Amino acid sequence: MNFPHFSKLMVACLILFPSFTGCISEDKSDNELVILTYDVNALSDSMISKFENSTGLEVKMIKVEDSGSILSYLIQNKGVGNVDLAIGLDNTYLPTAIELDLLEEVSIVQDSISGRNSSSQMPALGPYDGNLATPFDMGFICLNYDSSIVDGLNFTIPTSLWNLTEPEWKGKVALPSPITSSPGRGFMLATLDYFDWQNNDDDFSNWWTAMKDNDAIITSGWSEAYETHYTGGYGEYTEGYIGDAHITVSYCHSPGVESWYNGNWTKSASLDIDKTAFFQVEYASAIKGGNSENAEKFIEYLISSEVNSQMPVENLMYSVLEGQNLPEENGYRFNSIIPSNPAVISNVDIGKNMEIWLEEWNEAMIKSE
Amino acid sequence: MNNTQKFFSILAVFIYSAITIIPIVFAIDRLILVSGFNPILWIQSLDQNYVSQNSITFTFVQAFFSTILTVLIGFPVAWVLGRYSWPFKAFLRSILTLPFVIPAIIAAMGFLTITGPYGLDVRTDESTWWWTLIFSHAWFNIALIIRFCEPVLSTLNPNFEEQLLLLPNGITFFSRLKNLWIPILTPSIAAASCMTFVFSFTSFALVKWITVRDKTLESTMAEVSSSAGIQGYMESSSDIVLGASFIQFLVLLASLWLMSFLQQRRQTKWQQASELFVQNKNAKGWFVLVPAIFFVQLPIISVILGSFRVRDVSENSISFKWSTEGWYEAFQGSYSFPPLSEALFNSLIYSFGTLIIALPLGYILASTIHQLEENNSNLSRILEIYTMLPFALSAAMIGLGVMLGIIKLNPSAAYDFRFLPVLAHVIITVPFVVRIILPALRSFDLSYDENAKVLGMSNFSRFFKIKLPLMKGSILVATVFTLAMSLGEFGASFIVARNSEWITLPLLIDSLRGKPMKDPLTVPSSNAVATVLMLITMILFLIVEKFRNTKDRGMF
Amino acid sequence: MLSCLNLSKKYGKILFNELNINLEKGEILAIIGPSGCGKTTLLRCICGLEELDSGKILLNGDDITKIPAEERGIGLLFQKPVLYPHLTVSGNLSLASFNNHDKALVEVGLPNFEDRDVDTLSGGEGQRVALARALLANPNVLLLDEPFSALDLDMSIKLINDVRALLKDRSCPAILVTHNIEEAKLFSDRMIDLSKI
Repeated sequence: MNFPHFSKLMVACLILFPSFTGCISEDKSDNELVILTYDVNALSDSMISKFENSTGLEVKMIKVEDSGSILSYLIQNKGVGNVDLAIGLDNTYLPTAIELDLLEEVSIVQDSISGRNSSSQMPALGPYDGNLATPFDMGFICLNYDSSIVDGLNFTIPTSLWNLTEPEWKGKVALPSPITSSPGRGFMLATLDYFDWQNNDDDFSNWWTAMKDNDAIITSGWSEAYETHYTGGYGEYTEGYIGDAHITVSYCHSPGVESWYNGNWTKSASLDIDKTAFFQVEYASAIKGGNSENAEKFIEYLISSEVNSQMPVENLMYSVLEGQNLPEENGYRFNSIIPSNPAVISNVDIGKNMEIWLEEWNEAMIKSE
Repeated sequence: MNNTQKFFSILAVFIYSAITIIPIVFAIDRLILVSGFNPILWIQSLDQNYVSQNSITFTFVQAFFSTILTVLIGFPVAWVLGRYSWPFKAFLRSILTLPFVIPAIIAAMGFLTITGPYGLDVRTDESTWWWTLIFSHAWFNIALIIRFCEPVLSTLNPNFEEQLLLLPNGITFFSRLKNLWIPILTPSIAAASCMTFVFSFTSFALVKWITVRDKTLESTMAEVSSSAGIQGYMESSSDIVLGASFIQFLVLLASLWLMSFLQQRRQTKWQQASELFVQNKNAKGWFVLVPAIFFVQLPIISVILGSFRVRDVSENSISFKWSTEGWYEAFQGSYSFPPLSEALFNSLIYSFGTLIIALPLGYILASTIHQLEENNSNLSRILEIYTMLPFALSAAMIGLGVMLGIIKLNPSAAYDFRFLPVLAHVIITVPFVVRIILPALRSFDLSYDENAKVLGMSNFSRFFKIKLPLMKGSILVATVFTLAMSLGEFGASFIVARNSEWITLPLLIDSLRGKPMKDPLTVPSSNAVATVLMLITMILFLIVEKFRNTKDRGMF
Repeated sequence: MLSCLNLSKKYGKILFNELNINLEKGEILAIIGPSGCGKTTLLRCICGLEELDSGKILLNGDDITKIPAEERGIGLLFQKPVLYPHLTVSGNLSLASFNNHDKALVEVGLPNFEDRDVDTLSGGEGQRVALARALLANPNVLLLDEPFSALDLDMSIKLINDVRALLKDRSCPAILVTHNIEEAKLFSDRMIDLSKI
């Protein structure tokens, strides 16, 4: 065997290795802000660099897949102090994060945020109004349907969730899984309230089992349900499109977004069935062990009217600021509804029962007829 | 082995273990902490969770059928390619084996375009998903059949066949098949099928995008991996990851063992002849080659065309226009997406970083295995399987391991240590380097080296004047393969490259695809990035073709 | 018995042109000529492994020019014996016939070689196995492409005599090509010098 040649390379490696570890052992500096987030469209490059220029802080981003992954990442790295700020935990995950003591209090003036002083239809501070998390966007999660097919082909527009278990809707409803998707979680929470989980043991499970038996399409995430299966949205223009579902879970303002993009035209509509919509709020939170001072600066920036009023356009979600609404342009606001009687599930209940509910859901889904 | 050799061998094994095995042990340790050590319960959990239900059956069945279809398509191609002479044969061979190095995410995009609403429009029927997946696996893996069988066919001394023609039991085609071709090709086909099965078994991107509802163990694992390894929170994820990994590990270990066995069987005593001297023309062969080239190129071409085709939607009517807007967007970057150049730069840096570590490491490991073969074949077999272990690990698992490992070392490294993805890529590429170098070492004629010794040449000059020139083909193949693998790596990078500044070409494709497809430039711009990645891969691949030594009968 | 009429073949240069060969029953013919003059190609054309540019080959009066090699019933011994490494000696003989292996091996002087692996055979032994196999196939004509050239002198003389005896014994006509005129004299009844035609 001939090694001399490689001994040189090995020496090179041996030299490189310590330099690697050199990089590894570098300490986090004070004028650095590490943000943990998923692909939140609101955090555009220009918006970040504006922040960096005005504060002199350097922003570093750790990106994970979705809201759920943020929580997992935080739990896995608890006490490590490598994250200053998490952006994108929503109210289905926040209670767990609070319970596990992952978040740091900040002193943000929340006066401009809706829900503190008024009786808003969408109180951003409704689900949670403490100092551990600051809302930055929101929206209702609810069922969307393809009006061109449902109206056009004489489907009966559902008025009850049980309608969806009937043969007419067999294989035509796409629902994101609550295990892997946060809109899926939101919708599952809504069904808990719909079926009155506190007083009724069986209906929640029975409905989901019935849905499974009615060939409901359970997807791993929102985009698969909306883009791949749903016939009412822009999915039909995309390549993976299958188009076998006329009803799916999305936001109540998704038809508005469709219309806004399509120049005031959409065939998608929200189903306003009582207690089937879930009010979702997304939060920015300082993380325990991180630099909460820097985190605070960014949160303030995020809820400043300059940035937050752009949410409907930049991030396709409602701004959390008092008095803000969706733009009227191209039917954005006209095609978006605010559900008349949304589901109500308290944060406390979510924190206490989420795991159990997910297990019940799983049981319902693997149960055979 | 002398002492210097021993030192380097031990050092290489040590470094390999440190980079590869330790992170994986961290990951497994963490998962077991949550789930407890009970393989039977892990496996049972797969059927008790809705996310993973039926994934075991689906994984096996699709891998089985993918393998069969791959052989059915790949073998005739290998046969005509190997048995006859063709103009630009090396080029034909590279075209036909190109899919193997095309990143799976690009392949998925290509097949979706073909079967999608603006192609054959068969996706609306769920039964076609299955076939699309099987065909895409065949597309991906026919290269293996060609690679394994074609050299056997093209370099076999033609006298074997001629002599048989002149003997009573070689008169009919079937008797020749029975007496010559089956015995000579079976180990190659079996080895290639074995690899195909493994790759189909662990398929992720293609399954994720194409079959949508049905999941392999690998794609299931990727789906739940982010919540795995956490005590008291979604513990079923840990069970699923462990159960899926355990089954994968067993299946892959069995396949690897079989492969290594077959690989040795392939080193038979069949005389070889020069490829040039062997073949005749056969015009009918074009009836096999042309459709095969078409099949192989179609997804690639659809990705390239897709980068120029921009959707125009108005009032429920869709039209397309040809434009370079997608490319412009990809080069400009937009929103939270960095420009193509940045991802390209990162990808290149990572792939060269990977090369610097993986090539010498893999070479020394291969050398060590080869040396041990002579003295201690058991230890050699063990080391060979040890170096192939990463094959048996899913990319998601490798990513998870590197992540957890580095966090134990230094938490801020998770976003600060720019070369983190390199570690993951090294784990993935070292087994390939070993697989490429080892057969070359085995087929290296020792008398060359012995003769040089007798001539009084030193270790040093023998290496540079004799061994390196004779091995340069394989080393180059390993180099290019390492670069290509690293450039196209997606699964592990996806987990490891958490800092958005570390974005690579495949990650950029994924995030561009992940943004709402409502934007008409989403698909063209991601296809543009895919095209760039594909072109680089193709160039690398053509270089390999030029230097490939068919007598090595290497795997790749 | 075997008549070759006006055989022509060129590979860039002309190898043979308008060549006529006539072989009687039981006759052994030697074709001599220097390396590269087309001897091997001639044999390959006669047994059908290669196509002629022009000419006719008649076997017992039948035109076999267009018949594929595997149906002509002409045997060929290659310069280096072609033995299949995945088969034993007996397995290799089975490619010609399933019976009389022991007798055939005794004839070529290799008794009890049935179960040997072919890669354990020496050059001479290998050639003898190939010969035994060729004879087991009962060819109409046996062609020999310098099968003795790789062997040392003693060995080749012994083998030449043995092969000649076996062929004469069966009245099997044969054509040997060689560049070695001594070998040709020893083996054949008649010689043709290809370079002088």
